[in-house]
Amino acid sequence: MKYNIIGYLIGEGFRSIIKQKKMTSASIIIMCATMFIFGAFYLIGENVNFIMKQVESQQGMRVMIKEDATDDQVRNLQTKIQQINGVNQVTFHSKEDALASMKETLGTHQELLDTYVEDNPFPASYFVTLTDLTLNKDVQSEILKLEAVDEIASSDDTISMLASVAKGIQLGTLVLLVILIIISIFIISYTIKLTVYARRREISIMKYVGATNSFIRGPFIVEGIIIGIISALFSVGIVGGIYNAIIDKLLTSPVLQRINIVLYGFSDIAVKLLAVYLVLGIGIGIIGSAISMRKYLKV
Amino acid sequence: MIEFKNVSKSYEPGGEIIHNANFTIAKGEFAFLVGSSGSGKSTLIKMILKEEDPTTGHIIINGTDTTSLKPSKVPYLRRSMGIVFQDFRLLPDKTVYENVAFAMHVVKATPKHIKRQVPMVLAQVGLADKAKVYPNELSGGEQQRVALARAIVNNPSMLIADEPTGNLDPNTAWDIMGLLNDINLRGTTVVVATHAKDIVDRMNKRVIRIDKGDIVRDEKGGYDGEV
Repeated sequence: MKYNIIGYLIGEGFRSIIKQKKMTSASIIIMCATMFIFGAFYLIGENVNFIMKQVESQQGMRVMIKEDATDDQVRNLQTKIQQINGVNQVTFHSKEDALASMKETLGTHQELLDTYVEDNPFPASYFVTLTDLTLNKDVQSEILKLEAVDEIASSDDTISMLASVAKGIQLGTLVLLVILIIISIFIISYTIKLTVYARRREISIMKYVGATNSFIRGPFIVEGIIIGIISALFSVGIVGGIYNAIIDKLLTSPVLQRINIVLYGFSDIAVKLLAVYLVLGIGIGIIGSAISMRKYLKV
Repeated sequence: MIEFKNVSKSYEPGGEIIHNANFTIAKGEFAFLVGSSGSGKSTLIKMILKEEDPTTGHIIINGTDTTSLKPSKVPYLRRSMGIVFQDFRLLPDKTVYENVAFAMHVVKATPKHIKRQVPMVLAQVGLADKAKVYPNELSGGEQQRVALARAIVNNPSMLIADEPTGNLDPNTAWDIMGLLNDINLRGTTVVVATHAKDIVDRMNKRVIRIDKGDIVRDEKGGYDGEV
């Protein structure tokens, strides 16, 4: 029968976690704290991206069609615009649509436009939305080259402002996440170092009776992984509870309802966050315990 | 079995702790390594265990030159030797049985083998009835017996003991020496570093004496010469 090494490693890992209750709880608390901050930034980042996508999809340009364009030209124009890189949706607004929406804007003074029903001065147009706001200028110049295009109406300033805000937020959260991961590894390796220090006697005995380094490292890495998994589960619970409470408040707030923005519910994001936490927890556990073991293996 | 060839050791330039040591301990031999504290005994032991490497010279153990051994091979070298220390070095949170079984776990022995071997070795050192006891409930002599059991449980070809009786009263010390002698009679090479003169005199075995880093005597007899 081959010796059941996996069973031994997991057994020893759990044993040590139970024996070193204080050390383990300290590690878990610190890991949860870093994961909590991490989770907060992660959720904010995800939601900002989500909001930006929604805002982006509402931004676009109005492509005015020449008065004398034939029906064929108008249809052609739609396919040509659709083919341009960066274009998301192309919606047709007929002359009648344009008049109707103008009437709507005027509200109670609609009769002012009655004279235009016979001779509608508003041009037909395409409303073009973008997949990526940074492509705004390129798309515009491509469209202007096309036949039957009169002119383009677009709020360029708003679009470029939104694009740079989105980029800034993405970059900011990324940098913060990297910093937090480094801090976590540092803190966890320090706490595991304390556990290793408490067990240095055992380690030195193992060295004398001929244990290989990987055998000695095994239980500590298992311990790191277990701490990582426990912390990940705790953190998802805590972050989820707080997130849901905040989201409830936000979604029922009049401001958000007015600007018609949707936020992620926690259930949309929970699986992804748990996966990130598990990878992070297990990764930090392994790297942390490996770093903290180095010194004690040189006997 | 254990061969020192022109071995010198210094931790800093000019401060030689071992000076040109040459000796061979054959398979199945019993040898004392004696000298006052600071004589270089412990350094010699550390070099046998490959805890330290000589500055110059070679150490050959079971035909392998350990001075050029890769770090990854050191665990396998250590499995050929049982090691006993003055301070016993038992794990306080493990029972006597677990302390001994631990040495077998480490070399990945099968559970079946462990179950058979541990009680046998505990009986050999006279602790068959203390298997479930924790080290802090044992006397010093009993703790050293546990350490001995742990050292021999994997059937090493040699047993290295560094001041094994240093913390024990004379009667208990003598009991431990008796056990070491038994182990030697079963064919294990035994090397004991000590400065317990009365024990060395009474055992009348080979004595390698070190003084200020030099091997000044190597012959059968007592601590200071012929008994």
